[in-house]
Amino acid sequence: MAAKNDGYIDILLERYWSCETTLSEEQELRDFFSQSNLPAAWQPYAPLFAYTREEQSVSLSEGFDERLKKAMEKEKAGNKEYITIRIFAPLLRVAASLLLIVGLGISIFFITRQNNNPWFVETYDDPNAAIKDATYALEKLSHALQTTEEASLETIRVIDDLDIDWSALDSLMAEDEELTADSLAATAQEKKDTLHIGTFISNNKKEKEI
Amino acid sequence: MRKTMLVLIILLTSASLSANGFVTQFIHKYSEEGRPLNNVNIGKTMLDKMAANTEDEELKNAFKELKSIRIISSENAKDSRYYFEKANDLVKEEFGDYEEMVSVNERNSRISVWMKRGDKNVQELILISLDEENHLSIITVSGKIDFKTFSKLSGTLKNEPALTEDLPENK
Repeated sequence: MAAKNDGYIDILLERYWSCETTLSEEQELRDFFSQSNLPAAWQPYAPLFAYTREEQSVSLSEGFDERLKKAMEKEKAGNKEYITIRIFAPLLRVAASLLLIVGLGISIFFITRQNNNPWFVETYDDPNAAIKDATYALEKLSHALQTTEEASLETIRVIDDLDIDWSALDSLMAEDEELTADSLAATAQEKKDTLHIGTFISNNKKEKEI
Repeated sequence: MRKTMLVLIILLTSASLSANGFVTQFIHKYSEEGRPLNNVNIGKTMLDKMAANTEDEELKNAFKELKSIRIISSENAKDSRYYFEKANDLVKEEFGDYEEMVSVNERNSRISVWMKRGDKNVQELILISLDEENHLSIITVSGKIDFKTFSKLSGTLKNEPALTEDLPENK
């Protein structure tokens, strides 16, 4: 059987190397080379067919399909997200522009608010030299304030010199106010009376007609 | 988008120019080569140093509270009169948020003081003056301005040892 087998295996091997074997013939070869008491002449081929057999025994692990499905769904969901971003892209651009405008607006607001910031080159390095000009400025300002104060005082002095009888003026003003109040009251009363008379005449007329 | 950016940059530039204040705008707008002007700028750092160097308490406090002092001056009578009118025009046209606080028109001198009130600690003041000798002084002061102290300073300043010589007035 071994001799017969030898010839048969030789033929199968020849066909195997020429890639002409069928699946069942390849299975026969794998079965043959998986024997434990393999003749020494065939020993070199045994690892090749053992490897092929091992590789064929590799199968998908449990839950592979499920994991694949989940991964595919995730990718699909990812694609959906991308589509959402694409739909909102113009709005995002508008939002970014608005954000930029608001940011710049705030910056402008703060810059204009802080216009006391010295955006100039300092004239002096030495404070002793600068103090002369600084005090000159303050002196000028002080002089302006004092001049105004003096002008106001002078005006008051001139008015004082006019020797105006303020109490008489006050009483005149008070009288004037009283007179004005009286005349206003009188006018109001007159108008009221006129209205009463008008109503009285119209009522009389109505009575006569009846 | 590019147009918006351009508009914003222009706005920012104009805002920053306005933020530079009266002195910068005045020089930018009216300064002429044929009519030379003197310009002195004193910032917060220098004012603090000056406060540290001054012995007089009132002056020390006045300097501490200020943020900047800027001065433009001219000693040429003709130029001074020209710049005086221009400065008054500028403050009326471009600095509408300033109120005229003091205005003195004497026979030989004219002074106007304009003020913008910000918050309590930041006030801005512009003084435009043409003195008896037709010398122009434009002074801007910013910071916390205490007028009571300022009006009293005149006597104090004359007693400051550092000021007995070389005041711009005496040049």
